[in-house]
Amino acid sequence: MSEERKTLWQRLYSPIVLSLAIRNLKLNKFRTILSMIGIVIGVFAICAMGMIGAGFTEEMNSMISDTADTLTISPIGEKVIDGTTTTGFSAKDLRDIESAVKSVTNGYDMIPMYSSSKYVYIGKETTMTTLSGMDSEAINTLVTLTEGTLPRGSTNVIVGETFAEDNDLRIGSRITMLSSTGQEVTCRVVGIMESTGMMNFGFSTDSAVVGSIECYTAIVGDNHGLYDKVIVRAYDPTELTAIDNAIEKKMNGKEDKDSDDTVYILNSYEIMEIFDEIMSMSTIFTTIISGISLLVAAVAITNVMLMSVKERTREVGILRSIGTFRSQILQMFLYEAGMIGLIGSIIGTVLALMAAPLFLYGMIGSIEAMLSVGVLMYVPIGILIGLFVCLISGLYPAWKAANLNPVEAMSTD
Amino acid sequence: MDSIPVVELHDVSKIYPMPAGDVHALNHVNFSIHVGEFVAIMGPSGSGKSTLMNIIGCLDVPTSGIVKINGMSTSDMKDDELTIHRRDNIGFIFQKYNLISLLTAYENVEYPLILKYGRHDTTTRTADLLRMVGLTDAQMQHTPYELSGGQQQRVSIARALANDPTFLLCDEPTGNLDSKMSTQIMELLKDLHSKGRTIVMVTHNPATAEYADRIVIIRDGVIVNE
Ligand SMILES: Nc1ncnc2c1ncn2[C@@H]1O[C@H](COP(=O)(O)OP(=O)(O)O)[C@@H](O)[C@H]1O
Ligand SMILES: [Mg+2]
Repeated sequence: MSEERKTLWQRLYSPIVLSLAIRNLKLNKFRTILSMIGIVIGVFAICAMGMIGAGFTEEMNSMISDTADTLTISPIGEKVIDGTTTTGFSAKDLRDIESAVKSVTNGYDMIPMYSSSKYVYIGKETTMTTLSGMDSEAINTLVTLTEGTLPRGSTNVIVGETFAEDNDLRIGSRITMLSSTGQEVTCRVVGIMESTGMMNFGFSTDSAVVGSIECYTAIVGDNHGLYDKVIVRAYDPTELTAIDNAIEKKMNGKEDKDSDDTVYILNSYEIMEIFDEIMSMSTIFTTIISGISLLVAAVAITNVMLMSVKERTREVGILRSIGTFRSQILQMFLYEAGMIGLIGSIIGTVLALMAAPLFLYGMIGSIEAMLSVGVLMYVPIGILIGLFVCLISGLYPAWKAANLNPVEAMSTD
Repeated sequence: MDSIPVVELHDVSKIYPMPAGDVHALNHVNFSIHVGEFVAIMGPSGSGKSTLMNIIGCLDVPTSGIVKINGMSTSDMKDDELTIHRRDNIGFIFQKYNLISLLTAYENVEYPLILKYGRHDTTTRTADLLRMVGLTDAQMQHTPYELSGGQQQRVSIARALANDPTFLLCDEPTGNLDSKMSTQIMELLKDLHSKGRTIVMVTHNPATAEYADRIVIIRDGVIVNE
């Protein structure tokens, strides 16, 4: 076979050169393992952090995406009605808010509601809940029932899934609250609301009890007909910030928020954006840390490879003198670096696959996200990065070896 | 002689720049070797014998002058071409044996074959060569450190012969051996010469030089006597 006709593969793959590289790695086991530790740690760091970050984001996204379309508007300005100081939204306030929303879009739901904290007595237990009152149309828009019916009349309520589980409530169960006049009011659970999840920036059903306006008024009183909260839901979440600004301008008379405001607006879209920003910042941060550990590994491998070249200078001279190509010498050292990289990064990736679920479980109590593409993607990424880093680190030492003068190399001891 | 020489040196100089001043290892050397010759190069230590051998063997390049292999100037050849030339046409035998310590005797001899053909030796060639130079089958599986100097030199001769080169370059092949062993090695070389190989050998020992049919003496980088 003439040299010119050799295929690229035949030029890249020399079994004899590979076996020399393997023998050398085995001969210097201790050094090989030491240099591998660096790459194991580096790949482990990049993989584990990547997996945890991806798993966390995955989990968070599935929790918050449903609710990132909501503005929760609360009153903070005081009003004096019939000689009493109070807060709440009047019918005029609601009209103002609605006109502000309409100036931006027609794709919205607006849900005014009453709400206040109440003690609830269930059997012998006492717990705290947020009792909300709204009309059935509003309930229908805001929540999804997993079972039962919407509450009607003054003694029917629906409760959140989590609240029901925690307190062992079913359809037909009874809960008791104290009215403002001190009378016990017992209500029947007629429906269970689907959980809105842990990361909820809109209306959270989790520990909520919801009744009709009639029911709410019977228990809490009517506060001069002032609403406690308004929820605005935009069909297009990207319009949320514009709506937010319009309401700010209308109600607070300026676009920036400060203490003289009459309303306070919680924008779930903005919260999600902040959350995304924090996530991407922490991703950048962890990537930098992993990058540094990989850099340290790269330096260690370059160092080990330079030592290897130095030790084997004579051998390289002999190999060259009896007809080994420069490219084969280059390969011999790159094989060596590549094998350190391959084995090291496989170990690092496997360790990351074991550690990431532990961290994820500790952080979010679920390892389901481990099986997502975003997380498993880090297996090939980790191995490729480790291999790549090692090959790059080995390039200079290998090049140095390949370009040794055979005579001078052979005469070293 | 009218045949094209195996190697021709025209006005070849080799200068090593050193802090204390340039070392002229070879000084305007003109020299050629023809097919079938057995040339001995003699001279005191440091006179440039090894430098001359390395240039003849295309292991090193001269600072000035022209080296021709089979009529072709080496300055026109790429490193890969010179490497192929060393692999296929030249057998090197060094004073220090220069075996690969990672490999067994067998693997050392097989190595040039793998280099040339890209696969392991499936014939009996490697073993035949080792038997020819006098190694037992058990010794073939030993690494160089497990062999005596004489055995190592035999392995290195077998390795030099692996790709059946026409040209053997021996730099003090018996320099590290006792006289009995030296004689055996020289008989081997004599035999290879009688089978048609061209041999160039550096030696200190006049008795060893006796085997050659042409003796060249070099002093301070200059050939003083043919
Ligand atoms: N790589 C080198 N660098 C500097 N000087 C060298 C080198 N190789 C050989 N020399 C010098 O060149 C001269 C010839 O060396 P060499 O050819 O090895 O001599 P010999 O083989 O005859 O003993 C010596 O003076 C030696 O010191
Ligand atoms: Mg010498």
